[in-house]
Amino acid sequence: MRAGLLGLVIGAAAQLAAPLVFLLPAPASAAVNVVATTTDLASLVREVGGNLVSVESIVPAGVDPEAFEPRPGDLSRLRHADLLMRVGLGYDYWLDALVRQIGDKRLMPGGEANVDASAGIPLLEIRGQSVVSEGGHAHGVANPHYWLDPDNAVTVTASIADALVRIAPAQREQILANRAQFLSRLATARARWSETLAPFAGTKLIAYHNSWPYFARRFRLDVVAFIEAKAGVSPSPAHLAQVISAGGKANVRAIVHEPYEPDDASRLVARKLSVPMARLAITVGSIEGTNDYLALFDYNVATLAKALGARSPLAQ
Amino acid sequence: MSDALALLALPFAASAVFVLMHAYLGVHVLRRRIVFADLALAQLSALGASVAFANGYAATSAAGFGYALLFTAIGAALLTLTRTLARYVSQEAFVGIVYVVATAATILVVDRAPQGAEHVKKILIGSILTVEPADVAKFAALYAVIGLLHWIARRPLLALSIESSPAGRTRAAVWICDFAFYLSFAIVVTSSVTTAGVLLVFSLLIMPAVIGSIFSDQLPVVLLIAWSAGIAACAVGLTASYALDLPTGAAMVTAQAGCLLLAGLAKVLLFVGIGERRRNLRIAIDALATAVLLSLLLSSAWLMIVPAGDQPILALVESATGIGPTRFLGAGQRDAYESAARDAVRFQGEVDRLDALEKAARYQGTPLSDDEVRRIASYQKTFNEMTRGERFVQEILRGKAQTRARWIIGVPGMLVALTGLLLLTRRHWKGYLDSRPPSVE
Repeated sequence: MRAGLLGLVIGAAAQLAAPLVFLLPAPASAAVNVVATTTDLASLVREVGGNLVSVESIVPAGVDPEAFEPRPGDLSRLRHADLLMRVGLGYDYWLDALVRQIGDKRLMPGGEANVDASAGIPLLEIRGQSVVSEGGHAHGVANPHYWLDPDNAVTVTASIADALVRIAPAQREQILANRAQFLSRLATARARWSETLAPFAGTKLIAYHNSWPYFARRFRLDVVAFIEAKAGVSPSPAHLAQVISAGGKANVRAIVHEPYEPDDASRLVARKLSVPMARLAITVGSIEGTNDYLALFDYNVATLAKALGARSPLAQ
Repeated sequence: MSDALALLALPFAASAVFVLMHAYLGVHVLRRRIVFADLALAQLSALGASVAFANGYAATSAAGFGYALLFTAIGAALLTLTRTLARYVSQEAFVGIVYVVATAATILVVDRAPQGAEHVKKILIGSILTVEPADVAKFAALYAVIGLLHWIARRPLLALSIESSPAGRTRAAVWICDFAFYLSFAIVVTSSVTTAGVLLVFSLLIMPAVIGSIFSDQLPVVLLIAWSAGIAACAVGLTASYALDLPTGAAMVTAQAGCLLLAGLAKVLLFVGIGERRRNLRIAIDALATAVLLSLLLSSAWLMIVPAGDQPILALVESATGIGPTRFLGAGQRDAYESAARDAVRFQGEVDRLDALEKAARYQGTPLSDDEVRRIASYQKTFNEMTRGERFVQEILRGKAQTRARWIIGVPGMLVALTGLLLLTRRHWKGYLDSRPPSVE
């Protein structure tokens, strides 16, 4: 009912705004218009598409995509999309209501222009088939933060290249060359990241939100507890006491925190355990210096290594 | 237990400091009959903190405090002005407008800021659980200064709280006194909102003061009762939040309300004459009995109309007595229900076991290959589907059991409820007839 009402309002707003659309600068006709739900996917599309594409993302950098509410402006953005890239797994579930509103079959789930980037990814923490709230995380089919494993970028860029070639078959060579070039840069960087984090293999961490299973798997880390017991609910004292005691027993070395989460609970746990807090970015652009996919990992790996290396409390 | 003490000592100290200051201001607010003014000021302070937040300052920083204080001071000035307008329209109307506009403006201001939604929520429910030692010391020092100033100016302030234009005072003096009151109020609210949240600040202002005012109109007595009740309720709220695993701020607000309810009951049942006490007790018992009988009546009717629907009271009885829905099933169906319950647990156990296996392999032993991870994922998907299937079977059988229980439970339940209600009404009807003056014949 609520979604219906929201859709109605957005629809009405779009109707009103429709005559104004021609006032906007027309996009360069040659470029493929790609709309990605997150800045991470947008960054990967930019790497593969190069100057053949013009990319926009819907969720602004630094806003929690799981708590995002679409605006009327997003509708007009989607209307002009030749290709829609989404994270899938229930992470950007609000997209379905938007594309239904537009009514373009190509953009709907299963349509040729709707690409779910999670296809082919080895998924972690499977949770059933529908969007359910279990184990404290309102995640759908599986834990959706798969882009935080750099190796998964190989699969995601393959999906992107595939979709772009379908839309612009004439540019096939260029697209494949772009991807190959990105993958070689990724491989070099990946070796560097693994080397930086190798000394910390098996290190115990506490995270605010369960965003790090893919990152932890790739870099051999152990996230023992989550400060947030339920998505979006601040932790109760009993849960905090449990996290602190588990963290003390497991010899946790740092608290991993995302910039858009409230940090007072994380600070409290860090203070009680006398360990540093590492502010890591889960999306491109959410922290200064994380402006593309590779920079995101450069920043996260360096920040985490610094926090684990130097054990001074509350080092950011 | 020591875990709990270590975690709750600071929030308790902070809430005690808050109660001492806020309950006192609450007494003034009650006497001025502008209860919602403090909610409006608290929200304005939240708006100020949000403007600071959108500009990149932390709410607890000096700039954050400055912005919040500025907005609250503007609110204080507005409230002072509305006292003169109160002749035309009730002051409450202006207070309501200030509150709603401040709330809407807060949402607009932080709309596009990172963490904006989180910030709006935090302003509402606060984060008293994670208060830091330095903050508590800061609050105590600030409130000591304001408390001292109020002690010095207690006479004119109290006089103004009781009547709006006391004799023998010039208009300017009234305005200055009013503004000084609102400003000190603004400083207090500004300091506490970022930690305790709008909801808790409002309840700490009003509820202890109301409890005190129920029992006395002597300021020292009112304050003493308000402080003890407020601090006790905070302790109960914090303990409940720990023991029952609840969000702290909301639990404390509810505890204040519970304390107010108890105080109200104590007032009508204990602190009145013996005759009135008996009458009040009877009213309370009748009200309780009516509520219980009415819910029994509605619940029985609901069970008979939609047996397979949600039956909240029946579920409550089931979980309290341990009598499951299987009682109304035949032997075969009962076995099916029980084996479905067992299998659901077993399949879920398999999912959890695979989860643990995969998680352990992330950081110890040989890492799992992508294909091994995919295989685990596909097993988990299957087990998840099977768990859901078993839960579905349980749901269907529960519906069947309730359909069978429909008349067996519904009819007697309804009869008991109707008889009870009839008896209650008859007694009151007789009482009503007896109390009527005899008619002239």
